[in-house]
Amino acid sequence: MSNSAIDVPSRGGFSFDLCRRNDMLAKKGVNLPSFRKTGTTIVGLIFQDGVILGADTRATEGPIVCDKNCEKIHYMAPNIYCCGAGTAADTEAVTDMVSSQLQLHRYHTGRESRVVTALTLLKKHLFNYQGYVQAALVLGGVDCTGPHLHTIYPHGSTDTLPFATMGSGSLAAMAMFESKYKEGLTKDEGIQLVVDAICSGIFNDLGSGSNVDVCVITKGHKEYLRNHLLPNPRTFVNAKGYSFPKKTEVLLTKITPLRERVEVVEGGDAMEE
Amino acid sequence: MGDSQYSFSLTTFSPSGKLVQIEHALTAVGSGQTSLGIKASNGVVIATEKKLPSILVDESSVHKIQSLTPNIGVVYSGMGPDFRVLVRKSRKQAEQYHRLYKEPIPVTQLVRETAAVMQEFTQSGGVRPFGVSLLVAGYDDKGPQLYQVDPSGSYFSWKASAMGKNVSNAKTFLEKRYVEEMELDDAVHTAILTLKEGFEGQISEKNIEIGIIGEKKEFRQY
Repeated sequence: MSNSAIDVPSRGGFSFDLCRRNDMLAKKGVNLPSFRKTGTTIVGLIFQDGVILGADTRATEGPIVCDKNCEKIHYMAPNIYCCGAGTAADTEAVTDMVSSQLQLHRYHTGRESRVVTALTLLKKHLFNYQGYVQAALVLGGVDCTGPHLHTIYPHGSTDTLPFATMGSGSLAAMAMFESKYKEGLTKDEGIQLVVDAICSGIFNDLGSGSNVDVCVITKGHKEYLRNHLLPNPRTFVNAKGYSFPKKTEVLLTKITPLRERVEVVEGGDAMEE
Repeated sequence: MGDSQYSFSLTTFSPSGKLVQIEHALTAVGSGQTSLGIKASNGVVIATEKKLPSILVDESSVHKIQSLTPNIGVVYSGMGPDFRVLVRKSRKQAEQYHRLYKEPIPVTQLVRETAAVMQEFTQSGGVRPFGVSLLVAGYDDKGPQLYQVDPSGSYFSWKASAMGKNVSNAKTFLEKRYVEEMELDDAVHTAILTLKEGFEGQISEKNIEIGIIGEKKEFRQY
């Protein structure tokens, strides 16, 4: 290795050198720009035949709603789905990456992926990045050992639960679950409870809104109900459309073509090699 | 590659301009079990003999035909362990392509990348070329495709091809039997007949392996 002024990390991964600079700037009052978070209410519950996951569809960038109908339920494997809260880029990148790793694992082993495999791959990655990958996930699926539901926090800790909620609307959703959840729910009861929990998040939390997505996973079968419920339709659309009055009147139009001034030089220098 | 003690390649030119190691690799392939592939108008079929060294071997654990992606499969002639390594690398490359471009990898791209890996091992320090030739069969939006990849890293697209022990007989048989616009079922039939030609002993579903790819699917059958 020749002498270089720049310190390159010998292996890949993040270099945290700029974090000190950012901290110093923050102390002086210069803050980082806010990034796109999913605000969010995400939930999951285990019912008698499997797992149901639910999510709202609002993505926020500070106080602005930047996506009114985003997809928060991510595909991990044919039998495993994952809801993501936190920074949208982080949840998407991390679920995509682990989904890829699970696919390779399936090829090598010739078997269906297990939920704990996805869980371990995710938590390893998140722990590695010490919480800087801001992804709070609700992972659910059905594999050969039965239905499983887990929550994963940005720092890499996990919980295994019969029902779980994450995101800014998690308290609103958990209130619904705590009062109405019981073991051995049927599929319709489960979907209704998930919808109630998400709606509670949509209507009572600013960071969540728009529509409800539901995903039902059972042994050998999954149903991804995108926009299962649309409780916020756009009702008042002006039928006449919008027309904006012209600002200033045009009195006179005069076009003056610019004269070309092109000089042709014969036998110029050849281009440098 | 290059993290061994050797910084020089073991594959060097002979005075006549040949790479002797690759010739030897091709000989290794030529003494491997016969495999063949046929491209039909609506799919591709690949097949191979599966002769096990002893009747005690659990034949259900041996998979000579592997799928690299849901719509691309591969079979080999030559050294099994080398094949496993290549399959692993190809699968990883296919996944990486998919992650980057969010589209399933086209057959030609995967063949190109696999061939690049095989070529690397003919030019890197301290490693030997792979002792396998691959037949990659796939179906993407360009239609059904069949490629053969050699230890040197060169690849060719074939309408029908064979490799391994009985290659000359098999190829002659295929040349006679191949028809343009052949349907997939006829191709499977022809493939089995071709295998039967060079087969020592009784052919049965337990000692051959067949991979068929119709539109966007990869099956495996015995």
